[in-house]
Amino acid sequence: MLPLAGRQAFAAEPVKVGALYPLSGQVAKSGEDTLNGIRLAVDIINKKYPDLKMPLAADEGLPGLGGAPIELIAADHQGSPETGAAEAERLIVQRKVAALVGAFHSSVAATSSQVAERLQTPYVSGESEATPLTERGYRWFFRTTPSSRTQARDFFTFLRDINKTHNNSVKSIAVVHESTLWGQEFTKSVDGYFGEFAEFKKSIVVGYQQGTADVTSEVQKLIAAKPDAVFHASYDAEAILFARTYKQYGFNPQGILAIGASFGSNAFRDALGADANYFFVREHWSRDLADRNPLVGQIAKMYRDRYGKDMDGTPARAFTAMMVLADAINRAKSTDHEKIREALAATDIKGDALIMPWEGVKFDKTGQNVLTRGIFVQTLDGTPKMVWPADFAVAKLVWPRPAWR
Amino acid sequence: MIQTTSSPSRAPLVALVVVGAILLLLPLVIADRPFELRMATLVLLFATMGQGWNVLGGYGGQISIGHGLYFGLGAYTSAVLSVKFGVNPWLGLPLAILVPTLYAVAIGIPCFRLRGHYFVIATLVVAESMFQVFTVWDWVGAAIGLELPVRPDGWLNFQFHRDKTPYYYLALGLLAVVTFGIWRMGQSRLGFLLRAVRDDEEALRSLGFSPQVYKSIAMAISAAILGAAGVFHTQYVLFVDPFSVLGLHLSVLVALFAILGGAGTLFGPILGAAILVPLSEYSRVAFSGSGRNVDLLIYGFLIMVIAVYRPDGVIGWLSRSAGSRRRAGASMKGQGQ
Amino acid sequence: MSEQLIIQLLVSGLGMGFIFALIAIGLTLIYGVMGVVNFAHGEFIMLGMYATYLAYVTWGVDPVLSLPLVVALMFCFGLVVYYVLIRRVLQGSMQSQIFATFGLMVFLQAAAQFVMGADYFAVRNSWLSGVVKLDGVVLPVPHIAAVVGASLATVLLYLLVFRTSVGRQLRAASQDAQAAATLGINGSLMYAFAWGIGAACVGVAASLLANFYYIFPRVGAVFVLLAYVAVALGGFGSIHGALLAGVLIGLMQVVIGFFVSSELKYVPVYLLYLAVVLVRPRGLFGRS
Repeated sequence: MLPLAGRQAFAAEPVKVGALYPLSGQVAKSGEDTLNGIRLAVDIINKKYPDLKMPLAADEGLPGLGGAPIELIAADHQGSPETGAAEAERLIVQRKVAALVGAFHSSVAATSSQVAERLQTPYVSGESEATPLTERGYRWFFRTTPSSRTQARDFFTFLRDINKTHNNSVKSIAVVHESTLWGQEFTKSVDGYFGEFAEFKKSIVVGYQQGTADVTSEVQKLIAAKPDAVFHASYDAEAILFARTYKQYGFNPQGILAIGASFGSNAFRDALGADANYFFVREHWSRDLADRNPLVGQIAKMYRDRYGKDMDGTPARAFTAMMVLADAINRAKSTDHEKIREALAATDIKGDALIMPWEGVKFDKTGQNVLTRGIFVQTLDGTPKMVWPADFAVAKLVWPRPAWR
Repeated sequence: MIQTTSSPSRAPLVALVVVGAILLLLPLVIADRPFELRMATLVLLFATMGQGWNVLGGYGGQISIGHGLYFGLGAYTSAVLSVKFGVNPWLGLPLAILVPTLYAVAIGIPCFRLRGHYFVIATLVVAESMFQVFTVWDWVGAAIGLELPVRPDGWLNFQFHRDKTPYYYLALGLLAVVTFGIWRMGQSRLGFLLRAVRDDEEALRSLGFSPQVYKSIAMAISAAILGAAGVFHTQYVLFVDPFSVLGLHLSVLVALFAILGGAGTLFGPILGAAILVPLSEYSRVAFSGSGRNVDLLIYGFLIMVIAVYRPDGVIGWLSRSAGSRRRAGASMKGQGQ
Repeated sequence: MSEQLIIQLLVSGLGMGFIFALIAIGLTLIYGVMGVVNFAHGEFIMLGMYATYLAYVTWGVDPVLSLPLVVALMFCFGLVVYYVLIRRVLQGSMQSQIFATFGLMVFLQAAAQFVMGADYFAVRNSWLSGVVKLDGVVLPVPHIAAVVGASLATVLLYLLVFRTSVGRQLRAASQDAQAAATLGINGSLMYAFAWGIGAACVGVAASLLANFYYIFPRVGAVFVLLAYVAVALGGFGSIHGALLAGVLIGLMQVVIGFFVSSELKYVPVYLLYLAVVLVRPRGLFGRS
């Protein structure tokens, strides 16, 4: 049953890669965006794009395997950990994929990577953020995206920077989070940093159930606690609801900083108009990166032409995960699982070959990429602008928030 | 054609033997197809859950849209025992069945005084409350859930990694035991009294029986079966989180399988699961990627059609057409035997 | 704890409560007339909100102006649902009714996603947005509209049911369809009418909600569970029961969310239902 048996790639025999994403159900939209990022990467690898200054773009297929193309096999897990595990097994055993990418939901990444570990198949995750995923001692799991713990740290370094230029105005921090895995993970991670960043004190933690009909009590709690800054982990729906309720009751801390893209998304900006301004989002990617690296602009344009919407952090990260995996398969010069795993472990990609703001891709022993970097964008005049870190900034950030109008 | 050779009373028996043999031999055909093997396992698991729901909802006539709770409690108890206390799943099994059973009986005491939709809403809010509590309860992993440690393959550990066929046989065994038990119950005095609770509670009371007591017994049996199914699920997936074992969709699905197959019949829930699980799985594989929910469009439409044209469930149609061919044909319904 | 804060919490809770009440009233009316619970009620809200939103983006019509149109549309939709689906399961068991409307729920949700996609939409800067400040207490305008709308709807429904000939026929049909038929009352027409009015009530709620709420295919699920609890708590079929229970739930979730736990703010609401039916198995005002 072990799918390792030395399968030698003949020239141009496609290399199968399985992609596990939620393609129906509640988060179908995000799953579709993610998969589009992967599809774009596969297309760039398989066809000739001499204009793109990135590895594997210039020629057809993977040169290390005699120009073999990548064949993408997508599978829908509907956000269910059980289905995800089953689909991983189906792809590995029945479709005989060389490696897997996935899975958007961290809970699905947990179960599906368990299957991959058991069946000794390389698994690259570009967007599942839960910290424990790389703390399980797995040999076959690699993660290009920063964990939620790494991301939480950026919030504190950001505020420390603000304090340097704004007369130490930020002293207390409130956390607002939804109560699924993602929000709880983020809150836990934030909790862990109050020791290291002792100048801040925790004001209040407000959790709420996803799909809540009304957030009045949550907002009143915040008003009573008077925090200087708020960290927010909310999905699109409640981001809109919270922003409107903040305005209703005039809640206006110095800054509201969100993890995840919801407070800067198209839906959010459409729904709120001018009220969408001044929210900060800790982003993985921004179109403004094109100013530093023309490659970003090229890829973003290709994405827009192909899928009719703007690229954002979700497809950008998936795109990158696929490129990293392809790079490893290319260096492995084989579809043998163990060889691909060794190549992944030896990955060393420089920042300018990526469309991310990272210094590069290099995995530590746990399989976590250690060269990631985060950015903050702020919506100014209706457009999200990259404002932090200082060497990346394309616009001057506004702090504190002006009063609601 | 069956009717030409076998006598009416033996026909169901022959059918049972044939179906049983097919179920026993199925893994030989699909052993190297994990997708189909898993689907068959899921059919058996959902059929078992449907059977559990049926004891209370079908035979007892107490419609619950909260039975996912007992499945979840069984699943969580098994997971907590494994993760926190390192208890072998087999040793944990009795407790993992006992917890949902006791909980169900405790819930039943106030709820069984309620009639009709008041009872339905009560089951709904109890299940939803527990779901929300589990999403914030740190000790059981809150929304993050619990991942079970991977142990060596084998029956001792209830874990089969290389070949998942044993899971299939375990699920088949569970379903067979449960179905046999319910068949015996259907013939017994308890089954008779339960149906009396459903059909005419007042008459039963006037005969000196307490409907409350029999509802509670049905609830206990029902919850125990769902708890056992939950244990199986935990050991099969090796992961529990509130959404996948306590979500409201599970409660609805369980009731749906039983009702669409044929509530209050012995084979209705099995038939319901056998039709709906493959339907939803294959439509997911076929339509996924469209992002347009075509599978749910079909699913919803089908449920309405069945509710309108086959209110007794699909099995009513089967047994009726079989019956019309055999005239005095024995019903496949449990109570008809 | 300042007095002003307490007043603010109560006022906010009341505002939300009237929105829950408005949704619950339509549901309880349908039940009261024919004993059917509409599990697709949340999807009726969703449709009403999309209708409001589409009128806003295509013609720039403010939700206040499109309200009559949305209400009329929803009334017709209620009739259609009755004639196409409900009429056929009316003679069936409670479970087949539950699952007919459940199938409708799944179908409408999927249909909305099929047509509109999974994106979030919202109406911006409608006439009923913003707040009124009274003595430091904030009154969101949509909440004020909800209070007015729900009160009006309740009064109108009572007038309709108890003061008009249609209402007399409705009540007759709901008490004894066969006896009503001998008096020349068309029971089926009355049932259809009840569905129409029930859906129209939802249309009012949806139109008001669209002023400040986001719209997406599953938005109905956000409100509907609380609406069911409101209907059951108030007593199935009781209009003033639904109103009172809706308001009570709105108040509870704000006060508990503030003082106890925002993550578990709905759990005490559910427990309240259990506690009430333990004492009164037919809710606060349910008929036996």
